[in-house]
Amino acid sequence: MSTTDRRVRETFVELADTLVDDYDVLGFLDLLADRVVELLDVDACGVVLVDHHGTLNLVAASTEETRLLELSQLQNSEGPCLDAFRTGRAMSLDDLSVDGDGRWPQFAPAARDAGFAAVHALPMRLREAVIGAMNLFSTRTGRLADESLALGQAMADVATIGILHERTIKHQEVVVGQLQSALDSRILVEQAKGVLAERLAISVDDAFALLRGHARSTNSKLREVAGAVVDGTITQLGHA
Amino acid sequence: MSAERLTDRVWGAIIERARAEGANPLVRHVLEACTEEVGAAGCALSMVGATGAHEPIVAVGEHCEELEELQFTLGQGPGVDAAVDDGMVLATDLAHERARRRWPVFAPAAAARGLRALFAFPVAAGAARVGILDVYRREPGDLGAADLATALAFADAMLVVVLDERGLVRSGTDQSRIGVLPERRAEVHQAAGMVSVQLGVGVSEALVRLRAYAYAHDRRLAEVAADVVARRLRFAPDRRGMTDTTSGNGMIDAPPNSDHDQPEGGA
Repeated sequence: MSTTDRRVRETFVELADTLVDDYDVLGFLDLLADRVVELLDVDACGVVLVDHHGTLNLVAASTEETRLLELSQLQNSEGPCLDAFRTGRAMSLDDLSVDGDGRWPQFAPAARDAGFAAVHALPMRLREAVIGAMNLFSTRTGRLADESLALGQAMADVATIGILHERTIKHQEVVVGQLQSALDSRILVEQAKGVLAERLAISVDDAFALLRGHARSTNSKLREVAGAVVDGTITQLGHA
Repeated sequence: MSAERLTDRVWGAIIERARAEGANPLVRHVLEACTEEVGAAGCALSMVGATGAHEPIVAVGEHCEELEELQFTLGQGPGVDAAVDDGMVLATDLAHERARRRWPVFAPAAAARGLRALFAFPVAAGAARVGILDVYRREPGDLGAADLATALAFADAMLVVVLDERGLVRSGTDQSRIGVLPERRAEVHQAAGMVSVQLGVGVSEALVRLRAYAYAHDRRLAEVAADVVARRLRFAPDRRGMTDTTSGNGMIDAPPNSDHDQPEGGA
């Protein structure tokens, strides 16, 4: 068995293990984004979810760099995520410098400026409803192999299940409630990033690394750590 | 529903009512507009007081004020649960056995007054928690996807209206001046976190100050937030205990007579 095959199996086992009641959604998506980068050999991955306004919001990313946030926000007007979200189909551009500007006149130059050469987006679908998209970025041009795309879609499906907790959701309200919860948790994390950045005179990206590191090393939920940082319950954080 | 259409419809309904009274958008206008738009019997906003206790503030619709007060007197009900759980609570049938078990005094009281469903939504963004929006209906049953999205959008609008009331932001009835919070919200919330530390206040209050600053300087909230996160703009309490802003990277104290109109350097 190749290293990749083994890592794929290990990854799915790892993810399945975390799918228990009352688990940490944001931490899970964070882990998933990291694994996607490793297994698909891309350079960055972001998970965006739709809210009740129809806006796509970044809720997790492999790197907490501001550039990924920018690129996600832009994609509310145009871009692979918006296309994947609207069509429910995977979208790719293997070389952003070839016809990128024609297709996405704002997003393509911004993505290239951020150092990316190729982008892909996989829809996060639950039956007919698309709740978001998984965004993949590469610094090199070239298409993703079919197996990689299939693997990526499988991981996007795992992400969807991870958020919605079950495959067969009968009531739309339950879906909305769980999406709201994930989105609101993310807002709390952003607030905590700001609090830490100001307290420690560091960047918001470094602040996130500290939050995540503390959550992982203390086996806590990211949302809880964020809440405790904001209300002052936690003042000392473990190293990232 | 696209992002534009829902937000526009919600704010359009709120502003129409405000305009009819020649007033700024108030909590009551949000409740009235929500009631009409989702076909409710009535709506109410309860807010978190200084002690952390919930108090009913404004209600529209028959029996709604009474039932709001009952919830908080009893410490029982969907609205109370929504506040404790920090998530929406959708009670689709208050006459049902399950509702009677969960809210043994409140549920029958509501059903007896002809209000069979209650949908409670936090009016909050992360740690910035302002209260709960309760939507009452006569008929039992699900809210439905469209009305649910609409109610959530009204909860968003309520947050803005309440924060603006606190910050004395008189955005008036010009819809283009009302910068809705969802816009570039990651940066807005990072800025709120930073400002909360700079001023030694809670995150809700920090949002109030950010909006008030943006309004006073006729700038978009998203731009002000970007400046705060990039550390081009700091908020600092001045010696008289009022807030002041300074620009640049240094910890410069503003001169004693400065006010919100102090020109800032840079962007």
